[in-house]
Amino acid sequence: MIATIASHQVLSLRRQRVFLALLATLLTMTALAGVLGWSSHQTIVRVYDEAVKLLASTGKPAPPNPFLLKPTLSLLSNMVVYIPLIGALLALILGHLSIVDDETNGTGRLVFSRQITRTSYVLGKIASAAAVLAVVLAASLLVSVASLLVVNHTIAVGDFGRLGLFYALSWLYLMVFALIGMVTVLMTRRRSIALLSAMGAWLVITFVLPQFTSGLRPTQSLNPITDPASTSQTFFKVTSKLRPYSVVEQYKQASGQILQTATAESVGQTIQRILPIAGLVLVLALVTVRLVQRHDFSRSANSE
Amino acid sequence: MSDSTHRIITLARHEYRSAVRSRILIVLLGILVTVTAVSVYIASVDYASKLADYQAYVNAATTSGLDRIAPSPLAALSLLRGAMEYIEIIGAVIAIALGYLTVSRERTNRTLPLIRSRPVTSGELATGSLLGALGVIATLVAVTAVVGIVCVGTIGHDWINATQALKLFLGYLAAIVYMGAFYCLGAIATAKSRVAANGLMIALGIWLIVVLVLPQIGDTMDADNQIPGGLFKALGLGHDGEAQILTHFTTYERIRTWTEEASLAKHFERFSFAMTDVKERYRPFNLPWLLGQTRNDIGWLIAYSAALYAGLRRTFRNQPTIPQGGTQ
Repeated sequence: MIATIASHQVLSLRRQRVFLALLATLLTMTALAGVLGWSSHQTIVRVYDEAVKLLASTGKPAPPNPFLLKPTLSLLSNMVVYIPLIGALLALILGHLSIVDDETNGTGRLVFSRQITRTSYVLGKIASAAAVLAVVLAASLLVSVASLLVVNHTIAVGDFGRLGLFYALSWLYLMVFALIGMVTVLMTRRRSIALLSAMGAWLVITFVLPQFTSGLRPTQSLNPITDPASTSQTFFKVTSKLRPYSVVEQYKQASGQILQTATAESVGQTIQRILPIAGLVLVLALVTVRLVQRHDFSRSANSE
Repeated sequence: MSDSTHRIITLARHEYRSAVRSRILIVLLGILVTVTAVSVYIASVDYASKLADYQAYVNAATTSGLDRIAPSPLAALSLLRGAMEYIEIIGAVIAIALGYLTVSRERTNRTLPLIRSRPVTSGELATGSLLGALGVIATLVAVTAVVGIVCVGTIGHDWINATQALKLFLGYLAAIVYMGAFYCLGAIATAKSRVAANGLMIALGIWLIVVLVLPQIGDTMDADNQIPGGLFKALGLGHDGEAQILTHFTTYERIRTWTEEASLAKHFERFSFAMTDVKERYRPFNLPWLLGQTRNDIGWLIAYSAALYAGLRRTFRNQPTIPQGGTQ
């Protein structure tokens, strides 16, 4: 029954062209990250060539090529920014639509007139969101591999494995937002309020928490390369205890480790960064199951 | 007062009262004010310690009889950088939500056809709604400004003077214009969609591109941002060397500039940063010079806002005057 609900939901998303929109946006975003990575590569090489000529004309020795200091997968470092910005918003909308249409169309009432348990229903909905996100991220992985092949002409097996791990982590991170999208629909009466509440949660997770726990200004979150902020104040001595729960920071740090674009740390430390994200997914899934058990599907939500 | 002005004021009052009754808006406002207070608090604590160091240096220099004392490198207004960034991101979302609520509220209550059945033109309706929303936005901006100024004064121990107050006023005025443009966007997208929530999603999609994606692309394309700590520093080049090398990248820099110029958020950011002394290169100059330097950003801000206001008037003119079947 879970599979039936999930396949129905996937079909519904395909018919509404939500699936296509998600796929197109994420693929464009991945291609854009590749183009920016290629542009970054070309710029560094050309700046280095010009710098060597300039320094030679003044009799100074040429510095080492800074591009050699950049890891291969840094070409895709913009993805670590786009997933929490664009991907998370798309996941919110995916989760939102998974439940809200059953409310506004009255499908929920019809579904529960059949022999379907609420647990099967909610697990089917969660499974459909997970499957859709997995498919679009798998497609993004292929685009990322193509970008690397275009620029570097080759890709090591280890790098391919790292990319796979990065997209698996991204899937986990996006599940947080798909579930938030579902929870807000189940907790509010109007579909617009549900959407705005989910947006509020996204803003807090993406911009507010990193400022509270690490002093990162909102626009610093937009750049894949940021200088660390000073956190020596008493304020941060208190709030930094919450840093493990700032999932966007943990996601970015763990991604940096997987793609080897951040200062190296042990595997154990990286796993510790992923655990809060997995924990949040689990908690949100349980909350969603609980809310569906109590939800009154006989009352249609306001379509506005 | 002409009849038209009277009708516009009535509509603006209606908009203001309705907006402040929305709980979700109050929650979003609460988030904005809280994060503004925290960001200014964090910056002010750091500033107070640097100001104390500078004061100790001045005292020591005066005691030792030095004639020339280095001016303070600190700028109190720059503590409001975080506040401006939050207006740029969260403020724009609040403005879109306001625009969305303007249309969806009238649709849900079926009062839009009622209003249009009165002798109210679409222009008056658009202007009245926008003025009411600008009133809400101005209240919000004033609250965040007061919170920011008080934090700078009490925690940073540096109260702003009259000139700084004028610059800050202009910065916040730009914030109102900026948010007004996003209000129009939210209202237009909602009014053009059969399902209001879909219009909200479209407006948020445009917000994502304009506020986050385009500036991010511009920042990422900056040659100096390619390596942690700066590419030119890694190559052992100073400002002159950087300028000389960038002469070989004119087309690249032009594309980067165009990408940033397409973003309304970037124009607001540049102007507000110039008004709040965030960029060190602007600090030595007076207000007329700063306004001259940022005239391009002022022009874009006004142009975007005027275009969206015209779009709002046009959209309201095309709204049906009789109830349509369903709101799906």
